Amino acid sequence: MNERQDAVEVVGLRKVFERRARRGLLRRAQGEEKTLIAVDGIDFRVKRGEIFGLLGPNGAGKTTTIKMLCTLLSPTSGTARVAGHDVVREAAKVRCSLGTVLTGERSVYWKLTGRENLRYYAALYRIPRRKARERIAELLERLELAGRADELVEKYSSGMKQRLALARALLPSPPILLLDEPTVGLDPQAARNLRQTIFDLKAEGKTVLLTTHYMAEADELCDRIAIIDQGRIIALDSPAALKEGLGAKEVVRLEIQGEPNGLGDALRALALVESVAVRPSANGAGTCELQVITSNSRRSIGPIIESVRAAGHEVVHLQVVQPTLEDVFIRLTGKSLRD
Amino acid sequence: MGILKRVRDGLGIMLAVAVKELIQFRRYPSWVIAVFIWPLLFPIMSVFSARALAGPEGQALHAFAALSGTTDYTGYIIVGLVMWMWLNMTLWTLGSFMRSEQIRGTLEATWLCPVSRLGVLLGATCSQLLISMVNLTVSLIAFRYIWGFRIVGDLGLTALLFILSAAAVYGLGIAFASLVMWVKEANAMVFLVRGLFMVFCGMTYPLAVLPGWMRIVSRGLPLTYSIDGIRAVALAGAGLADVMGHIAALAAFAVVTLVAGFVAFRWTERRVLRTGALGHH
Repeated sequence: MNERQDAVEVVGLRKVFERRARRGLLRRAQGEEKTLIAVDGIDFRVKRGEIFGLLGPNGAGKTTTIKMLCTLLSPTSGTARVAGHDVVREAAKVRCSLGTVLTGERSVYWKLTGRENLRYYAALYRIPRRKARERIAELLERLELAGRADELVEKYSSGMKQRLALARALLPSPPILLLDEPTVGLDPQAARNLRQTIFDLKAEGKTVLLTTHYMAEADELCDRIAIIDQGRIIALDSPAALKEGLGAKEVVRLEIQGEPNGLGDALRALALVESVAVRPSANGAGTCELQVITSNSRRSIGPIIESVRAAGHEVVHLQVVQPTLEDVFIRLTGKSLRD
Repeated sequence: MGILKRVRDGLGIMLAVAVKELIQFRRYPSWVIAVFIWPLLFPIMSVFSARALAGPEGQALHAFAALSGTTDYTGYIIVGLVMWMWLNMTLWTLGSFMRSEQIRGTLEATWLCPVSRLGVLLGATCSQLLISMVNLTVSLIAFRYIWGFRIVGDLGLTALLFILSAAAVYGLGIAFASLVMWVKEANAMVFLVRGLFMVFCGMTYPLAVLPGWMRIVSRGLPLTYSIDGIRAVALAGAGLADVMGHIAALAAFAVVTLVAGFVAFRWTERRVLRTGALGHH
């Protein structure tokens, strides 16, 4: 990779899967081949040394994109270059330039110790034995696994397994890291520690491309974010610029009692309301949350409450907040990231 | 990269995979017991069945000898079973290697490394070879003391037939591993393939007792030539000239199955990259 070259360049990347419909035990669906467009002609560039995030809901195409970049999946069309190497024609060179951690904690051998896992992968990366020993010790220390390096991985916590997977990816000191949902399944403390590690890697000059569906994580970590939905990039900018893109808008968050049948449409019809997203509340109290993006909360809050009451609901909680990346997503797609 | 460096790298990767597999193998003590105890138990049923059929004074042995060329039915059965067990272990190990890596989630992590994927599979083959050799050695020693089994013929010629048979079996194993990665199910496939070999290759009986069409099928399977050739050399003292046909057939099978195995692996590799099925389980 030369000085001026982008770490990752993606042009018109597309992946289409053929899927056959299945019907029960005995009946086989004939002639019902469906095509699923997982990634639909995306373009983006990741600059050297930046943390770049692909943000989107589950099934948006983030993991498919990562898998094409790390050569585990061949693109249907379009091109992608990693460290200047084409992911199809120069797959081996791409794999030499990359450290990849895919989702979950299953990418390491549970019946080996942490150290044995790293020793095995060091051999696959053809790191000379003495150098590998030093590198493994350094990574175990750095990722706080040294104390339990000689225990079987099956005894590790989820956070430790994820750190071991990161250590595996860092073994060959790659200039570029691909992290697919790196904090999924981790407790808050473990997730915080991992985010700090990612910051440290950036400080060392590494380029990080990560996927996440956690807005706060993307906001905190990423220099730039591509918001991806249904295989397409619908926005790409820094988190601050994306939020500023909402203009002087504000978000009214309401928690109401009961099912909001038709209420969303009634609110959308109000003047000054730009978009509304509805989702069940996570507190299990039979309430629903509404996020209303408005250009003027002072003037629209009265009509909003009136509409809620007119629909026979009671407002349990209300707050006016500054926009987040989730609000950007709602504004762009009309739905919540968690839908 | 020079050819020597490539070979050295390839061997290093195969060694790393083999060591990793052996460490994992050692961590399941029940598997070690199964591998050492099962081969000792396995021939018992066939040997006692043969003893019962031979009659209390071995009256029926001349009929068996007329078909098989030997009255040593114990040795006859042991050679057949040992070769079949080798096939069985190879299919299980190589078939389940890719599958278990897929289920564990480590297959994708391994394929992310800048190594030959075939080299990784060959590494698993090496560990399987070592385990099978230990298994075979233990079995032969035990068979000698339990059943009085002895190799009376040329050891070198026996070894040559065995090596050619092993090459053909590993070709089948590599093709089998590719197939399992595609269909995502090892058990049914192993049962089917080993069942076919068990029936058609004369594992415990002479092929002469099979109907004509079954004998034709048996000629298309490498294990038929392995079992027959090794029996002729090891038990009846046949020489090189007697088994040249077997050697030629096994060499041809080894070339065909190894090429078919590599082609099947490359085809499956391209297919899973296209369909994204590598991580599916």
